[in-house]
Amino acid sequence: MISETVKEEKKLKFGLFLGCNISFNRPDVEQAMRKIFPALGVEIDDLVGQSCCPTWGTVPSIDIVGWCAVAARNLALGEEKGIDLMTACNSCYGSLNEARHKMLKNPEIMSKVNEILAKIGKKYEGKAKCRHVAWVLYKDVGLEKIKESIKYSLDGITVAVQPGCHFLWPSEVYPDKEKDPFNPKVLRELCEALGAEAPYYTKLIDCCGMGALRSTDPEKSFILVREKLECIKEEIDADLIVTTCSSCLIQLDDAQEKLRKEGKINFSIPVLHYVQLLAICMGFDPQQVAGICVTPRDEVIKMILEGGKR
Amino acid sequence: MEITEGVPPVINLTEVAEREKEEFEKKVSELIIEFGAENLLACMQCGACASICPLARVGFEWYNKKLIKAILIGMKEELLDDPTPWACVACNRCTEICPRQVAPFEVMFAMRRLMVEEFAIPTLAIEGLRSLYEHGHAVYMTGREARKKVGLPENPPSTDSDEKALQDLRTILKNTKLAELGLIPME
Repeated sequence: MISETVKEEKKLKFGLFLGCNISFNRPDVEQAMRKIFPALGVEIDDLVGQSCCPTWGTVPSIDIVGWCAVAARNLALGEEKGIDLMTACNSCYGSLNEARHKMLKNPEIMSKVNEILAKIGKKYEGKAKCRHVAWVLYKDVGLEKIKESIKYSLDGITVAVQPGCHFLWPSEVYPDKEKDPFNPKVLRELCEALGAEAPYYTKLIDCCGMGALRSTDPEKSFILVREKLECIKEEIDADLIVTTCSSCLIQLDDAQEKLRKEGKINFSIPVLHYVQLLAICMGFDPQQVAGICVTPRDEVIKMILEGGKR
Repeated sequence: MEITEGVPPVINLTEVAEREKEEFEKKVSELIIEFGAENLLACMQCGACASICPLARVGFEWYNKKLIKAILIGMKEELLDDPTPWACVACNRCTEICPRQVAPFEVMFAMRRLMVEEFAIPTLAIEGLRSLYEHGHAVYMTGREARKKVGLPENPPSTDSDEKALQDLRTILKNTKLAELGLIPME
């Protein structure tokens, strides 16, 4: 029985799809993934030559075949090796899976894409998909193994979870689905596995206002992030915000500081990607796995390392 | 128009303008369908999408339900300069909740594609496309302090450190509509 389990674990291998924001803005998230997955028995392939997913404001805004072609080149990097991709960025997760869904649904798109890919000696058959790291942790690694792997627990710590839009919708295109996409549980359970309280709050599934909304109209974007932060503060007074999306991470961390400077909020809640929080709990160096932020994290990290030692 | 001997044809410009206008307006919904919103005509204006749309929540003018209505009645000029479609976060709450499988997100993005054809494209989008073509990343930074700080190699294992892959990506982009439209310089 045990040897079977070990054999099963050895099979876990994914192409690590980084995306732009994690590569350049938040490489501590990349480092966190590079630490936790091998330690949890998940092998990582670098997917050398990967590019932007492509993100929403680029090729997807021009035409569907172009969007699918760029996505297909990235997906093919995994397919060639017989592995799926995994990402910690919801935008990449959304763009790659929506593109794959379009190609699978519409053979005409798929064949046009492959005509383009043929020019660079590649093809995509629709086999490789992009998984979300949170789902890999939840389903493939499993909560029990996560519980066993941690050196520090989050006893007494309350977290506000932020799954982010593309973790949930449109559920039709994703390889893994919440039972109720408007009442998500996966991230809450992942946080609870670390010993934290992860209560519901009214604006749990609300948009953080990042992405195109922020680049088009920062003022309007800040309405959403402010409402979200105030709700988190008032309803559950969280010690920490935990997200599964690198865009939400940047927005909640970065915009929070701007709101403080403008005198619009008077509190500070540190923000971490779930893979960073897990890496800290597993005992990896916080400077490496959570060293980049605007809203200070030192206190909560100290609280975890000093208060929750097992 | 029939040409009688020696007399040049008389073209009624008002008539032509009317006819062109009709065809032009009829085309809006057809183009939106062609550009990806296949199920546009199933919309019954129930408003479920609007009830859940972040753009509607913060006061953008042409949020999903209203944009669909405008397209269905043939509006176009009024929509071309509006920033709403470009603010859409592609969250797909609307797609999830729509009882008629209209996928209002697809309408928003089809509207973007129509605007691109009319060259009503925001500067930021052009910059993103240019960066994608040049570096393989829409979001790109030359500074690598953050990567070094957390103990990673300066270059991610992407097109950033793989010239062949970058050329492959450029070849792909050169064979898409992006090149046809000539929105960015491509060598």
